[in-house]
Amino acid sequence: MFSFRGCGGRVAASFTKRQFPLPRLSSDSAGPRTPHFDVIVIGGGHAGTEAATAAARCGSRTLLLTHRVDTIGQMSCNPSFGGIGKGHLMREVDALDGLCSRICDQSGVHYKVLNRCKGPAVWGLRAQIDRKLYKQNMQKEILSTPLLTVQEGAVEDLILTEPEPEHTGKCRVSGVVLVDGSTVYSESVILTTGTFLRGMIIIGLEMHPAGRLGDQPSIGLAQTLEKLGFVVGRLKTGTPPRIAKESINFSILNKQTPDNPSLPFSFMNETVWIKPEDQLPCYLTHTNPRVDEIVLKNLHLNSHVKETIRGPRYCPSIESKVLRFPNRQHQVWLEPEGMDSDLIYPQGLSMTLPAELQEKMITCIRGLEKAKVIQPGYGVQYDYLDPRQITPSLETHLVQRLFFAGQINGTTGYEEAAAQGVIAGINASLRVNRKPPFVISRTEGYIGVLIDDLTTLGTSEPYRMFTSRVEFRLSLRPDNADSRLTLRGYKEAGCVSQQRYERACWMKSSLEEGISVLKSIEFSSSKWKNLIPEASISTSRSLPVRYTFLIQTFSHFL
Amino acid sequence: MYPKAPNDDRESLSTLLVVPRSGRGVLPRLEATQAGRAGGVAGCKSMWRGLWTLAAQAARGPRRLCTRRSSSALAPGSGATIFALSSGQGRCGVAVIRTSGPASGQALRILTAPRDLPPARHASLRLLSDPRSGEPLDRALVLWFPGPKSFTGEDCVEFHVHGGPAVVSGVLQALGSVPGLRPAEAGEFTRRAFAHGKLNLTEVEGLADLIHAETEAQRRQALRQLDGELGHLCRGWAETLTKALAHVEAYIDFGEDDNLEEGVLEQADIEVRALQVALGAHLRDARRGQRLRSGAHVVVTGPPNAGKSSLVNLLSRKPVSIVSPEPGTTRDVLETPVDLAGFPVLLSDTAGLREGVGPVEQEGVRRARESCNFLATVVASVGAQSHSDSSQRLLLVLNKSDLLSTEGPGPGPDMPPHLLLSCVTGEGLDGLLEALREELAAVCGDPSTGPPLLTRARHQHHLQGCLDALGHYKQSKDLALAAEALRVARGHLTRLTGGGGTEEILDIIFRDFCVGK
Repeated sequence: MFSFRGCGGRVAASFTKRQFPLPRLSSDSAGPRTPHFDVIVIGGGHAGTEAATAAARCGSRTLLLTHRVDTIGQMSCNPSFGGIGKGHLMREVDALDGLCSRICDQSGVHYKVLNRCKGPAVWGLRAQIDRKLYKQNMQKEILSTPLLTVQEGAVEDLILTEPEPEHTGKCRVSGVVLVDGSTVYSESVILTTGTFLRGMIIIGLEMHPAGRLGDQPSIGLAQTLEKLGFVVGRLKTGTPPRIAKESINFSILNKQTPDNPSLPFSFMNETVWIKPEDQLPCYLTHTNPRVDEIVLKNLHLNSHVKETIRGPRYCPSIESKVLRFPNRQHQVWLEPEGMDSDLIYPQGLSMTLPAELQEKMITCIRGLEKAKVIQPGYGVQYDYLDPRQITPSLETHLVQRLFFAGQINGTTGYEEAAAQGVIAGINASLRVNRKPPFVISRTEGYIGVLIDDLTTLGTSEPYRMFTSRVEFRLSLRPDNADSRLTLRGYKEAGCVSQQRYERACWMKSSLEEGISVLKSIEFSSSKWKNLIPEASISTSRSLPVRYTFLIQTFSHFL
Repeated sequence: MYPKAPNDDRESLSTLLVVPRSGRGVLPRLEATQAGRAGGVAGCKSMWRGLWTLAAQAARGPRRLCTRRSSSALAPGSGATIFALSSGQGRCGVAVIRTSGPASGQALRILTAPRDLPPARHASLRLLSDPRSGEPLDRALVLWFPGPKSFTGEDCVEFHVHGGPAVVSGVLQALGSVPGLRPAEAGEFTRRAFAHGKLNLTEVEGLADLIHAETEAQRRQALRQLDGELGHLCRGWAETLTKALAHVEAYIDFGEDDNLEEGVLEQADIEVRALQVALGAHLRDARRGQRLRSGAHVVVTGPPNAGKSSLVNLLSRKPVSIVSPEPGTTRDVLETPVDLAGFPVLLSDTAGLREGVGPVEQEGVRRARESCNFLATVVASVGAQSHSDSSQRLLLVLNKSDLLSTEGPGPGPDMPPHLLLSCVTGEGLDGLLEALREELAAVCGDPSTGPPLLTRARHQHHLQGCLDALGHYKQSKDLALAAEALRVARGHLTRLTGGGGTEEILDIIFRDFCVGK
């Protein structure tokens, strides 16, 4: 196995427009000057960046194609990473040497572990992230990854050839056609197009095609996929308005302070980049009956809410909360968007009312009486592909060597996207090298649960991770993701650096040593009784009792 | 906990004891195979899904903890249409042959050509002929059940043919020649009904019991189970438990950041406690249903020459034991199955209890005592006057009442409550049968009233497992461990009811709480 990060002399990856210094030139009929990569990743979001860097870590010459290089690593919705279940995914991404956890440790402004009082299996590592810093750090990482080339361009079509007879699938992808008609060849292709497939933005009754506010959607690609016979569905999601920080009266609101000390996301970090006292607080406020009134009065101006396309139940817009649970106060968290950002993100106020009504509603809320809306909330509707059309390695059944990752598979959330990205990147690379796929089972990780749920059950609403989805929750903890996945990632996928591998090995052997020491401890039952009064051990046992016996028998006390 | 026996305070002066006791021997073996088979079916449900929906998908994780939702569930190899003789083997007036599967309609059309399909669910008279030779096979009543309104949920056909072996084999061969049809494997019709959600697991068990029911009480119990009463009861518990678990899961996944209502965990605690009480109560009379299914034991014991063997012969209406005026004729334990007042009973005749006879008879006496001792270890709780300190249900019967002088003194006033009987004249037999029926109803439960009984060891095992896990819930300090206890408990219940996927949990969470941001 190999590692680029560990072996000193870094190869500077190239960022060029329309130039391909690294790839060899294709020798097939498409022409002698056509560039040829091992893996092409389409999309520079959370799935795309992880996929591209994972493929490159595995040794594949990789091309990342994105509409705009300056949006690589953009956090297009909430300014936070992690949470309950999502933090687990980030730890697993990190265990496979993925990026997002390390970048978050360099970019957070408020680190807090949720569920601290509920047992280590369900701790939720979470942080508010500085959008600008995250994007900067991510782009720095991407542009310095060896073997990874980044290019701007919109993909219009896929190049398809005869299938390999030893695999299922009616054809095989061998490259992409860009909007300008140029072609790029590759051994495999990963699609991470997020909400861009026929993306449509909705504010009030206005609708216009866009993948994200200000970005063009991908329409040609959506048509290509449909023509190939992929089953396409439609989902919707939304994002709240952004509010000017100085227009909020924080002094009358509940303040939430970060943890001290901060717990880093990555196994490779002992600390995060910022001291707890320098971190920013969050604030809590609540909706009131006047908010309900504005929602109910203006439903006729709100086409997003009325439509039947399934939205996420767990990321509901304020409109659907008011409709489903009337006459209640709903929480609104006011979250900083960054260290020097003038914006506040009102978590819980996702809405698609016409822009002028959004400000009217917001100013009804305590603390926001004078709030200025800088950017209105909006809804997004987009195509997704039924994930039952992909294998557990995220390759499509229909088209050989074509992989899907992220929101295109019907998921929601940065962490879910990143998790799929790593797996798609690894498997696209393994596929090129004719190695067996790297599949994580439900017993091994949250990533396994995520992908197994998607590929066997499909989804009819944006899929989000919850710990309640995980059958083996007690074993799949954030603290042991490295011993579960790092060694496998190193040996089977080659996506893990030497340094991380050695660290995981050290951790594993230390744990084993600790366990064997515990196993060797023997006391009389009366001594155990003194040490752990809660455990109802029969003191009549004359034989000494081992600690492990105690653990197995009385684990529910400890 | 059994109802108090009417003969609690009797002395052991018994001339003749008739003792119902609970099942043994055959029971565990039978249960093991049944439970194993049933478990196999349950296990398959989740596996089939994987196989049908994603045949191409390679290695999956080990078996799921929970059965996933089976939306478009089709039976394994559902392409095939199966057929079989559904009535008993051998010469008879009418035999019924069934088919199930997509080619059923085609098969019916081919065998009844040139006639078209009869109207659905109406009996029609048709001439069946062999599709290869065109030779007439039989004039038969045919029934056409288009799916999903059929026993299996698939298209089904029933041929009611004359029951001669040649007719039956002719029709079976003709069906075998229709493309897409193959003979059914044992239990395959029921398996398909299960796979299509027409029957749940306890209903399948009820169906099997109904087919094998030999006594009236067994039939009543099986029919109630087939009607889904046991499943219904368990489903009610499972719903309570799923809701409690969903609320705990909501507290884990959303409690920190979202405003769940106050008291979510307290409410779950209350529900778990109520469930513990309900399960505990039900488990206490759990074994009665099993006893009814596999037979209660009744031992006849007492001093030599009291007429025990005569009574056994009288009750079983056949000469099971040799009777003679000589004491000690019966030297071993003789068992015979009988239907007593609708209850299945294994009746045991034993050697008379006396000391100081030959070694063979002493062994017989030892065995007789042993069969009573065994009983003492199985039937619990009601104290009675036996040689051991245990709890048996005893009926004191005084035989040879025909020898009592009509106006002479009856049995002494100190005699404990008893029944008088004459095996010679049959006098007192009705009273004994009535007393036995009451005892058996107490031991086996009355299958027509009260809550549905647990008919298999499997049911008891899972309910007990559920109850034990609920006990761990309260003791856990770590909420994730507490939730795990509820998951284990729910896993046990869903072995009886089916279902149990995580989607159900999420559905409840999003129905009951306004969570998410």
